[in-house]
Amino acid sequence: MAPGERRALKKRIVLSNPNALEIEGMVDLSAETMVDSRLRGTVLGLPMPMIDQLRAVEAFKPKQGWSIFRRPGTVLRRDTIEMGRLVEQISGEGDKPQKGKVAKKIINGMKGSGKSVHLLQAMAMAFLKKWVVITVPDARELVCANTAYTAVEGTKPLQYIQPNAVSALLKRTVEANRELLAELKVSQNHPSLPMLQPGSTLEELAKLGFADPAISWAVFQAFWAELTASAPAAGLEKGFVPRPPMLVTVDGLAHWMTESEYRDADYNKIHAHDLYFVKHFLSLLKEGDSLKNGGLLLYATSLSNNPNPLALSIALDRLTAHQAGISASSPEYPNPAAYSGADERVLELLKPAEKAISPVELQTLEGITRDEARGFYEYFALSGLLRDSITDQWVGQRWSLSGGGIIGELEKLGRRFRAASA
Amino acid sequence: MAWHKPNGLTQAMQSLRLTSAISNSSINASRPTFNALRTRTYATETEAVSIPAAAAPEIDFVSFSQKPARIIPASRAYFSGSPRFIDALLELEALQARHAGLPTVAPAEAPRMAWFKLPQFRDFVGEPVPNKKYKSLVKILQQLNRIQPEFLPADVRDTLNKFLRPGNPYSKEIVPRTVDESGLARGKAKRKESHAVVQLVEGEGEVLVNGKNIVNVFSRLHDRESALWALQATQRLDKYNVWIKVKGGGVTGQAEAITLAVGRALLMHEPGLKPVLRKAGVITVDPRRVERKKPGHVKARKMPTWVKR
Repeated sequence: MAPGERRALKKRIVLSNPNALEIEGMVDLSAETMVDSRLRGTVLGLPMPMIDQLRAVEAFKPKQGWSIFRRPGTVLRRDTIEMGRLVEQISGEGDKPQKGKVAKKIINGMKGSGKSVHLLQAMAMAFLKKWVVITVPDARELVCANTAYTAVEGTKPLQYIQPNAVSALLKRTVEANRELLAELKVSQNHPSLPMLQPGSTLEELAKLGFADPAISWAVFQAFWAELTASAPAAGLEKGFVPRPPMLVTVDGLAHWMTESEYRDADYNKIHAHDLYFVKHFLSLLKEGDSLKNGGLLLYATSLSNNPNPLALSIALDRLTAHQAGISASSPEYPNPAAYSGADERVLELLKPAEKAISPVELQTLEGITRDEARGFYEYFALSGLLRDSITDQWVGQRWSLSGGGIIGELEKLGRRFRAASA
Repeated sequence: MAWHKPNGLTQAMQSLRLTSAISNSSINASRPTFNALRTRTYATETEAVSIPAAAAPEIDFVSFSQKPARIIPASRAYFSGSPRFIDALLELEALQARHAGLPTVAPAEAPRMAWFKLPQFRDFVGEPVPNKKYKSLVKILQQLNRIQPEFLPADVRDTLNKFLRPGNPYSKEIVPRTVDESGLARGKAKRKESHAVVQLVEGEGEVLVNGKNIVNVFSRLHDRESALWALQATQRLDKYNVWIKVKGGGVTGQAEAITLAVGRALLMHEPGLKPVLRKAGVITVDPRRVERKKPGHVKARKMPTWVKR
């Protein structure tokens, strides 16, 4: 086996099964269908031209079961429609437009409850609305000491840059958002990038970081400044286009809430918050409009390979309590036990603000309803994977066995019965 | 201290001393027999005959036949080791022989009797009766019990009653548990080391195990299916809500304890499902436990590897 082959096999993503039937009249996800509550419970296909973009931002995960269907599609569940409405709102459309709004969400939920697919749906919607999509598909890759890091001199405590990771981020962002970035011109001064040609596009700016990882962090900072610019700098007004809203997603947030596997010069572990890359994305959660042109921050936790830091679970409990209206002085408010050593930096970062303009919201994904499950299984049947007649009772049984509509479990059950009936 | 080592000389001296002491005393005259005993002569000498021996009274042969010459045991089985058991057995056999001609009923129609259990019977007779022998006795009891009740002789009834456990266990009828006033059925069951308590109410198919989602407790689909098998096999999974407490043992044991408990709780709601549930294998208890380890063995049965030396 050639080097890297096994890893490539492990990471291989198959999005189509030619043996599955093609569904006639399958509705695609579009700006109209993503908010249509009449379609709730149906499986909407992801638009075929968008698949490459979604692949570029690594929206698909290897074990998600795309490979049993003819083409990738996702269930339009309640949370999806709500998110669709939010995306519409932020884009300045729909019933209650709120252009420039920033929504910050931490997505939590049981294993298999559809957190990663929720992020994928957000990405698909953002692509539909011509947003800039920036993703961190696996937060763990930034802290597991697999990518190079260099200390930034003069910082205290010492901070670190991961040039190759930043370079990869720029690459996937450009690949996914090429059309959009090619239209946006540089509108700010970037003295740290003297090689930047005046009047170049953001695509060209980002490309500077591809070739030379040494300057990738500076390029990323410039890129970010451009995307969040609300007005052009003096002398660069020519051809300024208002920046679109942004979608920022991170999957596997827990890995960023503890110490990383990197070591400093004294061989002490480096805290994940001391990595510039991580710090940048976490700082977006802080109070205030971190995305100047509006947008959506979706940071999902993951239960596979979960370091399960104590501080994060307390912080999430606090967010839940805050959302339930429990004040910080109340005895029911979750606090770390004495001597538990919960990470103060994490608790401080995710502390629920009393009166926030754009507070961090905790969204817990539950199981889907029976009606949604029925639509999901009808999709199986139409694809030729199920030969049973789908009745309410049949769906109800699967719904109970899957722990109340946990969609990952429903999918496993669907696969299993396919094997049984074949 | 010469008593300890008597020889000819010391004995002679002793007799002399005793003779002189007693002849000097005042009680000499009142106790002649004692004196005569003490002044016993040696065997080589001829004994002076004083009184002629009295003859035994004449044997009265009339009264002799009434009195035993030695003590005779009450039971003929006295020397058998378990006389009371054998007596009981003989008594029952005699009864059986005497009443062999009476009409009988089918075994199923005979009145239900709670005979002594073996340890109780051993206490009753006070003898170590082996199981097999007691079984043969119970068999006779059952045969006697099959005599039609209207023809049952009083002596048989009295004898049979002697072998009944105190406090007739079959006197009170077993009341089947029912759903309580809030519509809740409670079932308990064990399997291996696990113990499950299930509360079943009519609902929409929500399941909670120890307050957690069933997926988190049983990550294997097989365990989930086996835990809810009673409901799934009867197509009731979407008609009841299940609230489960389970502890002890491993994952499989817990799942199978839940199976049984859910089946019992479901029977309270719908007793008519019993044949279906029995067919689904939810009624039958699996009483197996881990076999104990034995000395000389590595586990219950495994022997250590043979080593040449």
